[in-house]
Amino acid sequence: MQLLAASAIDAYLPIGIVFVMAVIFAIVNIVASQLLGPRADGAVKGTPYESGMDPIGSARKKFNIRFYVLAMTFLVFDVEIIFLYPWAVTFTQLEPRSPEALLFLGRILFFIGTSVVAYIYAWRKGVFRWD
Amino acid sequence: MPALMGLENLTQYLPSWVAPTPAFCQIVTGMLVILVMLHVILGGCAYGIMLERKLSAWMQDRVGPNRVGPAGLLQPIADGLKFIMKEEYTPRGADKVLFMIAPTLIMIPAMISFAIVPWGGTLELSQLPFGLAKMLGVEGITVRLAGAVVNVGMIYLLAVASLGVYGVALGGWASNSKFSFLGGLRASAQMISYEIPMGLALLCVVLTAGTLDPYAIIEAQSHGNGMWNLLQHPVAAVLFYTCMLAESNRAPFDLAEAESELVGGYHTEYSSMRFAMFFLAEYFHMITGAAFFSVLFLGGWSLNPFGGSLDLPMQGGLPIVLAQVGVMLGKVTFMVAFAMAIRWTLPRFRFDQLMKLAWEGMIPTALVMLLITAVFTYLGWASSIWAGSLLCVAVMYLVGPMLPHQKNPNHRIGMIGSRFSPLVEGTGSVSSHPVAMSDAAIPDRRQGLQSIH
Repeated sequence: MQLLAASAIDAYLPIGIVFVMAVIFAIVNIVASQLLGPRADGAVKGTPYESGMDPIGSARKKFNIRFYVLAMTFLVFDVEIIFLYPWAVTFTQLEPRSPEALLFLGRILFFIGTSVVAYIYAWRKGVFRWD
Repeated sequence: MPALMGLENLTQYLPSWVAPTPAFCQIVTGMLVILVMLHVILGGCAYGIMLERKLSAWMQDRVGPNRVGPAGLLQPIADGLKFIMKEEYTPRGADKVLFMIAPTLIMIPAMISFAIVPWGGTLELSQLPFGLAKMLGVEGITVRLAGAVVNVGMIYLLAVASLGVYGVALGGWASNSKFSFLGGLRASAQMISYEIPMGLALLCVVLTAGTLDPYAIIEAQSHGNGMWNLLQHPVAAVLFYTCMLAESNRAPFDLAEAESELVGGYHTEYSSMRFAMFFLAEYFHMITGAAFFSVLFLGGWSLNPFGGSLDLPMQGGLPIVLAQVGVMLGKVTFMVAFAMAIRWTLPRFRFDQLMKLAWEGMIPTALVMLLITAVFTYLGWASSIWAGSLLCVAVMYLVGPMLPHQKNPNHRIGMIGSRFSPLVEGTGSVSSHPVAMSDAAIPDRRQGLQSIH
């Protein structure tokens, strides 16, 4: 089967094209409705919507620390998952039940184990409690 | 003598860099596929909105849109025109630049993620009709019907799926509206939380298939190579589908735009085409998510769930490839309609329940499933990994009650005059001894009134 060498940078050319198409689509949409739509402004019309109340202060207030801690916990896991993908592809190439495969399995179990310790710590600290 | 040349030598009029090599044919095919599928999906988004309105009407015993055109079929066009003709409105105090680019930031990742989906199998160019192959000099070359043939397809999917959160977070922040801000925060927390079980569920499939190439994952599920992953990996399939709904902010995970509490969520302040782009991106996510679900768990264009040899071939001429595309699109349509049926069936989660489901339910399950898959792969039992899914369900059933659970925050608050702290008869004041927190019948307070009459 004659197929494109998968590592060739040419293979990513269609992705570049679709990216350019997406950017053009987005820009054309925004510009079109800027040009075609009506324009009017007013004292009340310009205020942010708050169910008819006059807004009090800016909307960009301090927010709950939980969101921040959650994002940090997410980072730990996301990076870990990305490391697992190359391992998964290599691991399946190995002979089942061979000593080498056992070594691979043991190493990745240790790696996942370190993250699971962090996960349990975060859980017991109440990172996932939102009540 | 170029004037005497017939059609069989078309290639000589082309510039010299256009050589009919396999790589060049693949890129040209990829661009054609992208051009066609982008329009198919955009049309699918427009008519997906129509389908959703019709489905919801059907499920609620209504008629649905039926005025614009025959049977309401021109409704999406009318909607689109209306969106373009409306005013672009920017609230006072909004960050103008971020407010403008947030919809593009959510639209672009949604639009580029479909580029690696294989919509059909391998096309043998020699079997093109009208002797086209000879004319173009592409005999013996095969191309895959995918936008881009890259061997890291699944990592591309994960990377692009993560980018959507920028548009949501920025749109919520830039609007200078409290509803938008809270909606944006909630949506970002939700999207990043559900990315982890999605990545882990995907990893289970990759671990069985041994490749990141979506085409090879389909190949492993069809034509005598093995069962569909829906049967091999049911736990991963359920996790992936749930995460897919959560990633595209679909009900029952549409907390970000919970109408009853946050008006429109992060797009409260958006109008006109900018709002339409948030809306389109949701449907784009849904369609590409359904396509990826079909590739990963429903065997792509495979027709035989049990992996028998009675199946569509992977490779063939134009009729076979078109049949493959038809099967694939049929599966995508089914999965999209399924997501819509879910939206009109299940009630919305509360935010703490949503976080609990992701972090205390789906991530432990996905981790257990990953460990079981790794051990099964080590032992060489990859072809009977469905037993691993059963084992995973059993483990979670046994271990689940032992995990530290947060208590239900929906405490029964003793409200004055409620059935938990009823008024003392005759005095008009609250009883100092609230009724025990039980579901006992409501005390009948009318008895005292009856004795007066």
